[in-house]
Amino acid sequence: MLVRVQNLVKRYGDLLALDHFSLEVGEGEILGLLGPNGSGKTTTINCILSLLKYDKGVIEVFGRPMAPDAYESKRNIGVVMQNVAVFQELRVDENIDYFCGMYVSDAKTRRRLVDEAIDFVGLGEFRKFYPRKLSGGLLRRLNIACGIAHKPKLIIMDEPTVAVDPQSRNKILEGIRELNRQGATVVYTSHYMEEVDQLCTRIVIMDKGKTLAAGTKEELKAMINDGETISVELYVLQPDDVAHIRQMPHVTRAEYADNHLTVHYDGGQHNLLNLLDYLRSRDLSFGRVFSEQPTLNDVFLEITGRQLRD
Amino acid sequence: MFMHLFSYRLKCLARDREVVFWTLIFPLILATMFYFAFDQLMGRQETFSPVRAAVVASDAYRQNIAFRQALGAISEPGEGQLIELTVTDDEREALRLLEDGAVAGVITVGDSVGLTVGQSGIEQSILKAVLDEYSHRYATVTGILRESPAIAGELIRELGQRRSYTKQISFSSAEPDTALNFFYALIAMTCLYGGFWGLRNTTDMQADLSPQGARRSAAPTHKLGVVLYDLAAALTISLAEVMVLLAYLMLVLRVSFGNESWYVLLTSLVGCIAGVSLGAFIGTYVRKSEGAKTGILIGTSMTMSFLAGLMIDTMKDMIARKAPVLSYINPAALITDAFYSLYIFESHRRFFLNIGLLLLISSSMCILSFLRLRRDRYASL
Repeated sequence: MLVRVQNLVKRYGDLLALDHFSLEVGEGEILGLLGPNGSGKTTTINCILSLLKYDKGVIEVFGRPMAPDAYESKRNIGVVMQNVAVFQELRVDENIDYFCGMYVSDAKTRRRLVDEAIDFVGLGEFRKFYPRKLSGGLLRRLNIACGIAHKPKLIIMDEPTVAVDPQSRNKILEGIRELNRQGATVVYTSHYMEEVDQLCTRIVIMDKGKTLAAGTKEELKAMINDGETISVELYVLQPDDVAHIRQMPHVTRAEYADNHLTVHYDGGQHNLLNLLDYLRSRDLSFGRVFSEQPTLNDVFLEITGRQLRD
Repeated sequence: MFMHLFSYRLKCLARDREVVFWTLIFPLILATMFYFAFDQLMGRQETFSPVRAAVVASDAYRQNIAFRQALGAISEPGEGQLIELTVTDDEREALRLLEDGAVAGVITVGDSVGLTVGQSGIEQSILKAVLDEYSHRYATVTGILRESPAIAGELIRELGQRRSYTKQISFSSAEPDTALNFFYALIAMTCLYGGFWGLRNTTDMQADLSPQGARRSAAPTHKLGVVLYDLAAALTISLAEVMVLLAYLMLVLRVSFGNESWYVLLTSLVGCIAGVSLGAFIGTYVRKSEGAKTGILIGTSMTMSFLAGLMIDTMKDMIARKAPVLSYINPAALITDAFYSLYIFESHRRFFLNIGLLLLISSSMCILSFLRLRRDRYASL
């Protein structure tokens, strides 16, 4: 295990931020820490990085206890903070060089690493720009470049895509996949379930400082009763038809309202075909058809009774 | 590693335009304003103009040879001319001159010497002092001659000589100059404004104060190293700014610092250390927003500079008399006094006392700041 957190307890006064929280990150993983704001994701990251004091628990990184003076471990960790952590007075290349220089002392190696980092985040044409001249998305990319330029084995990213435009977000996510392909292990925190869904090989859902569920996205989705949801635009549908649909295999719920038929399944195959065959057999004309797979939000909803972004 | 982190830190600080304005441009502007405000005080005094007076050429005046000779001596054109004398035939003409403002006073001679003035002022006071002195001496001499006519010759010889009963011992080749204190206090203020750099360092170093601090705390660089690199950069830029100010004062405004350049440099360096330490101290111990900390730093350094005589030239002496402890713990007063003692005293005893106290205060603030900065983990971020 690259990271091992056991029974971590962290209090802010009366507030229990981490409640015997445990976590393991294996080599080569992209581990997603998913949870609503205030769930304890950033606190966990800061404890792992030895920036925060904690009340109880054990943290090991690279098999060694993590401490502020664990320089050997720190040398192999890259950090991408939630807030952009660059100096406004230094240009793009200077910022990357400065932070890279805290890890790599050889100037020649550093120059190469800085160039690679700039290429990696796509800031080539902005390398002589000052941060205040960059858009929010470009600034986030610079933030990432400063954290990963020294080619760390473990990259910890705390909500790196907050307030980022879709183009930059895609670029960042693709970059993280590439880093992972190159051998880096990534711990990725987010409250954007779509990102975690797309990116992470394993997901830990947390809330109120506790682990609610952990596993691959398939494993998590399998934990809930809801499966596929099919929605059909229909202008006419008799109550008898709705009752019939409710009797179809794997259907858990079916409702008709506002010219929309919504059918929930708990599994099964060819549900859409079966439903459309039935509608055609009843000469019911229909408009648009939507099929949705369960999301991590559904998982969170199922476990907590709340939406992820509540 | 040192050069890398030091040079980037230096770039970071030097490109902070707002702070550069307050720590460099603002003192230069103040220095220029002081220069024009104190131009008259800085050894470029007005030349003394003789006091214009009229004397009525009455019979009594013509007969009073001693008085005429005395007036003649002090109204003789030249370096020692005290009075510019106009002799009028009658009193009416003299009073007309007085009314027109052509003379400051009218001297009349009767049984005694009289003075008529139109208003009170420096010129009138000078005239009165001159006439009082004459009357006093005249009364003394006539009194002695009446009592002991035999010593007339000796008396005349004595009166011909001026004898001083106090001895002037010079402790310096320089003339005391109160205007200089303003400039020295200004340098002290600039040194203390080095606190802006110390303050910025602490903000950029602590994970609970800035994201940059968090990123740097997560890096594998020893905290003491980062503190020292940042301190070196802050001191370098602060000292460079004070050097620019000193060069401007010495070469452009011709402010004198005595002839001991190395001691001036030493004072500047120690002053900058005090300033950066003050900023670091406020940055680590005041648990307020960055804006509040900046306000406290400005308030503190301005108060210290005020007490050192930045705004009122007598303030420093007044504090030294009324609350001497303040003079010994106020870095601005110590810097000002170090410069002034370099200028005025030939002995360095007082200078080194100031430097020693400054170093003591600075090292105390530095140690206390480091004890807080070295904290590796924070209770909250």
